Amino acid sequence: MTTPPINRSLGIFPKSWSEEYAGRIPGNIPIWVGILAELTEFALFFVAYFIAKFYYPDIFSQGPQSLHTSLGVANTIILLTSSYFMAKAMSFIRIDNIIKCERYLWLAFSCGCIYLIIKTWEFNWNSLQGFGPSTNEFFTVYYYMTFNHFIHVGWASCAILWVIFRLRNNAYSSQEHSGLEALAVYWHMIDLMWILIFPLVYVLR
Amino acid sequence: MKTIKMMKNLGQLEYFLVALIAITLFNTFLGEKFSSATLVCILIALTVTYKGFVVIDHFMELKGANKNLRFLMKLYFVIFPSLIIVSAFY
Repeated sequence: MTTPPINRSLGIFPKSWSEEYAGRIPGNIPIWVGILAELTEFALFFVAYFIAKFYYPDIFSQGPQSLHTSLGVANTIILLTSSYFMAKAMSFIRIDNIIKCERYLWLAFSCGCIYLIIKTWEFNWNSLQGFGPSTNEFFTVYYYMTFNHFIHVGWASCAILWVIFRLRNNAYSSQEHSGLEALAVYWHMIDLMWILIFPLVYVLR
Repeated sequence: MKTIKMMKNLGQLEYFLVALIAITLFNTFLGEKFSSATLVCILIALTVTYKGFVVIDHFMELKGANKNLRFLMKLYFVIFPSLIIVSAFY
């Protein structure tokens, strides 16, 4: 299998990280630079959460009880399902089934939209209960983490629309689908971040 | 042959999705019923690690791909769940 040019031209990782030595890079190198940057950003949020929880254990113990847990659970299931749809879309492009690939991309996009609607509803519900980013330290961390994640889901959903447009223009096939794969790994990264956020703000007391 | 292998993988994806949803519901149940128990925090941390590993290996398809990227991603899901366990002892 030939290496896509984009994976050879960016010499920003050590040689031991190259496809030749460490194995295939799903998508392309630029998307992984983005993913590692995003992971660092979220890591800072998580560290802030644990430091704040250390200093304000009571507030962080009561905080999750003020949230609408069912909406958090619903969003977790929706994002996991969207990841599944994305993985199915990848499976179908590999066998040149463009129609099914597009169908699963639309399903993943729908999940992204449903997530955004539920999250907006939740922010509104919080507001009606009198909770906002400045209510206490728990809600400050909660809003920083979840709103940041909300923005990521928003622009990744727009990226799905772009990929569908490209797919319809025959830009992807079983031989060349690195652009689609780059979106898929980015989408899974967003799902992974929610897998960590969910227990921190909704479950742990 | 390659197609048959791919179709088998599709079956695996459904299994993993059901497992991930079941774990999410189980974690929520634990959090709701047994607040502030150390054992609950440890269980939740372990299941978060498992969920992360499943998504990394089977949805993100890093199993068999670049070993350094896979290591970094998995390390992330060891470090932060470990902090969940540490936070249980605050």
